[in-house]
Amino acid sequence: MPETLNSDLWVDRYGDMLYRYTLVRVKNPDASEEIVQVTLLAALQAKSSFQGRSTEKSWLFGILKHKILDHFRELKTQRTFELTPEDGSDPLENAYHADGHWLNAPKNWDTDPHKAAENHQLVEALSQCMDRLSDKFRNIFVLKEIEGLASEEICKEMGIKPTNLWVILHRARNQLRKCLETSHWDTKQ
Amino acid sequence: MGQMLQWFQMTCRDTTPLISEMMDHSLPLGKRLRLKFHIAICDVCCFYKNQLETIRALARKLSGEEAPTQQQVVLSEQSKTKIKNSLKQSG
Repeated sequence: MPETLNSDLWVDRYGDMLYRYTLVRVKNPDASEEIVQVTLLAALQAKSSFQGRSTEKSWLFGILKHKILDHFRELKTQRTFELTPEDGSDPLENAYHADGHWLNAPKNWDTDPHKAAENHQLVEALSQCMDRLSDKFRNIFVLKEIEGLASEEICKEMGIKPTNLWVILHRARNQLRKCLETSHWDTKQ
Repeated sequence: MGQMLQWFQMTCRDTTPLISEMMDHSLPLGKRLRLKFHIAICDVCCFYKNQLETIRALARKLSGEEAPTQQQVVLSEQSKTKIKNSLKQSG
């Protein structure tokens, strides 16, 4: 039997999961709530185009994903995503000896990345570390690693030069690395 | 030969940005080989690479429709009522 839509139950059935999905990407609770509302309103308008080939839930998530990207495009009209002097310097600038070897060497996390991803505490720790990034770095990291957009697409959508995208990602990853090391691995020892 | 080795060897300082860059796009063959060589002989850069790969795997997990984190985070009752009302008005 094809899936049918029951818009009266959308908020109770899917509201919280749509909200959490948005919050991971957008960070701001008010903006996330607004995006969920805009998504459900758009879904209501588009109800007749639902053909029952997917589940109600994945259909709503499909609309939500578009609305989240719209949100990022809107941010770009308000501020630049290019690298500027305000973004500070490379966190690894003083991490090496003069001969190029590590001074503050990264620790051995001794973990298989895929096994680590099954550790909910660690996933939560990453989420908290992401919230400590600057908005610009967080947004770019989200587009790359959470949304999984291609680098070319991010450069085009957010108006960044490829070399600056790599610099931003490199710095964001290093800040996350440091934060996870302090919040998770240091406390484990 | 010595000169060639010198060209081939990279320091950790040269290696780390490339490890990050490699995660975003494929590097030209020369750079890729030098990077592989360095990682094979340098434990610390190997740890660094493992850390970046772990961060990527954690982010992938966080990206799912039902990510394991913050399951206690919910819309407030007030917000739910607000959204329900806007749907009613529009429907």
